[in-house]
Amino acid sequence: MNTERDQAAIFRSLRYQLARNGVRSMLEAGRLRLFIMILTSLFVAVFVFALSAYGFMELFNYKIPVKGLIISGLFDLMFFTLGVMLLFSTGIILYASLFVSPEARFLLTTPARADRIFAMKFQDAILFSSWGFVVLGFPVLIAYGLTAGVPLFYYLLLPIFLFGFVLLPGSLSAIACLILMRYLPRNRKQVLIGFVALMFVAMGYWIYRTTSVSRSALLDSNRDALESFVGQFKLARTSLAPSHWMTSGLMEAARGESIHNVLLPIALLWSNGLFAFLLASWLAKRLYRTAYDRTSGYGGRQRASRGIWLDRAMGRLVFYLDRPTRVLVVKDFQTFRRDPSQWAILVIFALLMLLGVRNFNLFSNSDIQGIDRFIIGLVNLCGVSILLCAGLSRFIFPLISLEGRKFWILGLMPISRRQILIGKFAFAATGATLIGLVLVVGSEMLLGLPWEGIALHALTIVVVAIGLSGLNVGLGAYFPNFRETDPSKIVVGFSGTVNMVTGLGFVVLTILLMAVPLHIAAVLRHLNSTQFSEFPWWVYLGVPVGLLVGILATLIPLRAGTRALETVEF
Amino acid sequence: MILMTDVNKRYGNKLAVKNLNLDIPAGELFAFLGPNGAGKTTTIKMMCGLLFPTTGTVRVGGFHFATQGDEARKLISYVPDQPFLYEKLTGREFLQFTADLYGMSSEDSRIRINDVIELFHLNEFVDTLTERYSHGMRQRTVFAAALLHNPKLLIADEPTVGLDPKSIRELKILLRQLANSGTTVFLSTHTLDIAEELADRVAVIHNGELIACDSVDGLKGKVQADGNLEDVFMKITEESDRKDQLAMGVMESAS
Repeated sequence: MNTERDQAAIFRSLRYQLARNGVRSMLEAGRLRLFIMILTSLFVAVFVFALSAYGFMELFNYKIPVKGLIISGLFDLMFFTLGVMLLFSTGIILYASLFVSPEARFLLTTPARADRIFAMKFQDAILFSSWGFVVLGFPVLIAYGLTAGVPLFYYLLLPIFLFGFVLLPGSLSAIACLILMRYLPRNRKQVLIGFVALMFVAMGYWIYRTTSVSRSALLDSNRDALESFVGQFKLARTSLAPSHWMTSGLMEAARGESIHNVLLPIALLWSNGLFAFLLASWLAKRLYRTAYDRTSGYGGRQRASRGIWLDRAMGRLVFYLDRPTRVLVVKDFQTFRRDPSQWAILVIFALLMLLGVRNFNLFSNSDIQGIDRFIIGLVNLCGVSILLCAGLSRFIFPLISLEGRKFWILGLMPISRRQILIGKFAFAATGATLIGLVLVVGSEMLLGLPWEGIALHALTIVVVAIGLSGLNVGLGAYFPNFRETDPSKIVVGFSGTVNMVTGLGFVVLTILLMAVPLHIAAVLRHLNSTQFSEFPWWVYLGVPVGLLVGILATLIPLRAGTRALETVEF
Repeated sequence: MILMTDVNKRYGNKLAVKNLNLDIPAGELFAFLGPNGAGKTTTIKMMCGLLFPTTGTVRVGGFHFATQGDEARKLISYVPDQPFLYEKLTGREFLQFTADLYGMSSEDSRIRINDVIELFHLNEFVDTLTERYSHGMRQRTVFAAALLHNPKLLIADEPTVGLDPKSIRELKILLRQLANSGTTVFLSTHTLDIAEELADRVAVIHNGELIACDSVDGLKGKVQADGNLEDVFMKITEESDRKDQLAMGVMESAS
């Protein structure tokens, strides 16, 4: 019979075959899609590289005295944030693949060892959750290396640093996931919501503190204020934080002075990461099967679910649609509101935005006046647009894919597939427009932006919301993945990235065309020290072009998606 | 081969399986019947080590699942009602993966893979990715994988769903042959004529309780029914419902 080593080889061989066959069938399905996906990933990497290189060059060119402090602070913050994101994403993916997937059920009935199944699913989860980290992290670090003129071995050490770093948060979330499912299966949702709420409170407090300090740093512009600002990231900069091991190791490698100072952080990252993985595997060996049993046993209380006033309100909001399409919209809304993992994230987004509004209010009551209101207003518009882009990519893009094997239910209904897409588009556009308008108009009224600014920003956010809805629904239908049941995997997959990048490109273009000219006019007036009166005519020149871009961004993907959906067999 | 003693399984406040005792010897073809939600799938999942009883013990081939689960699982093959296949593997690759998991030597696995391919007529599609298989093709591939390592216990949940009449006929012959050769076959099904035709013994579970367990003729004698297994099943479950309602009435009047 098999030894553990044999099973490791069996699972390695399985992974190799799955990857090889996956690439082959992707090539057979159409090289164009694969090409677009690779091109988009490259585009992201090049964009991040260019942006980072520009930022680093500015720092070096202006010979800022504390640039070392700023760079290490930024690196600490970047790795800390990415580490926290990895913690959550790996945990969610692991939960789905260890406790919900049919594959886990199959493997658990075979002689496969529990820790071996765990190791395979762990590697998959790490791969899925960290590829974005690698695509974003590598360009930033390479840009830093090129602008700072670091020695060659800095580049050679980058993969060792990055792959070592993803082990620790991944393993910690695996440990938390196993313990939660084993000992608190009945209350797992409450525990998770409590934990997320706690994280939110901590993050809110931190943002509040950082904003206050950054305000004084902006106003005082001296070294002490700047150091106090960087000091707000002390959690990420403590010597016990893996994010700080990354930063200190990379900075030492960049200096190229002492190999000892480089090896120590690498050793810390890998030894702690591997130890946490060993601990997770040991726990999996003891807990996984019983955790699976308990999770299956407490699958949730059976409750009668009825329609509530929210469903009726949603139905009324899309009054302009025919009745069958309206029913589809309400169905999507019901699915959405009954999945706490979806609306919990939305609530966090909304609360963060409210916190932002509160901070804008703080700024508007301070000494920051005139032109700064425009700058903050534009940042606010960009923030809400990016939030909509992320939110729609997460919730709307996978909608068609999630119909999955149940697609025949929709396919056999007496409605056209075009109507199905229109229903999903109406659902997305209505929600996104409402959220976008409330956040943009509300915060800018608090800021005291002139009415032209508020109106232009409101129009921009409407175009962004509708255009992004068209893009997400259309591309979701054009790149359907009916075999995947986990939405997070659909979103972080190649097609999800294509959608996200296209959406970001659209947001940038729309804001550049529709909102930025107004701010350029405001800056010019500020430089000429003139009082604000009426804005020049060219401020509105980009509006019709922006509207056209919005219409195209809505119609082209929806048409392509409809065509693709009409050929789907079920 | 299967020994379940005083098994209870609780899901929160609900007792899904109540005080279940089963002793199924090697070489028996055992049919497990019951209405939807009666506790069939929970019992099967405990039998193949996916779930653990809240109280009581489950032994397969003499191995206690709580302490010797790995040994017990080597003796079992489970064919669920919704079979799992890796979409990006071919049928042959899936069979090889299964053979490797059960620790078969390369020579044994080569011979057995060819045997089951022929037995289940997989030749036409065994080298294409399973994502292109119909439900029947998937079911046949899963059965082939389940029989690769010559299991001592085959547990099948609704095995005939999605199969064409010819395949059903062949499957029935195969299951009988397996039982005759010493493999225990545990069959959970709603297709009562298959149970009647094949089973050595039939058990009926209702509301988590085993309410009948005997040969088909034995059950007919007990409930004094002359018809087929369907009539017997209806009579047994209706009788059980009446008893439950009576017990509820007694409890309500007592309180």
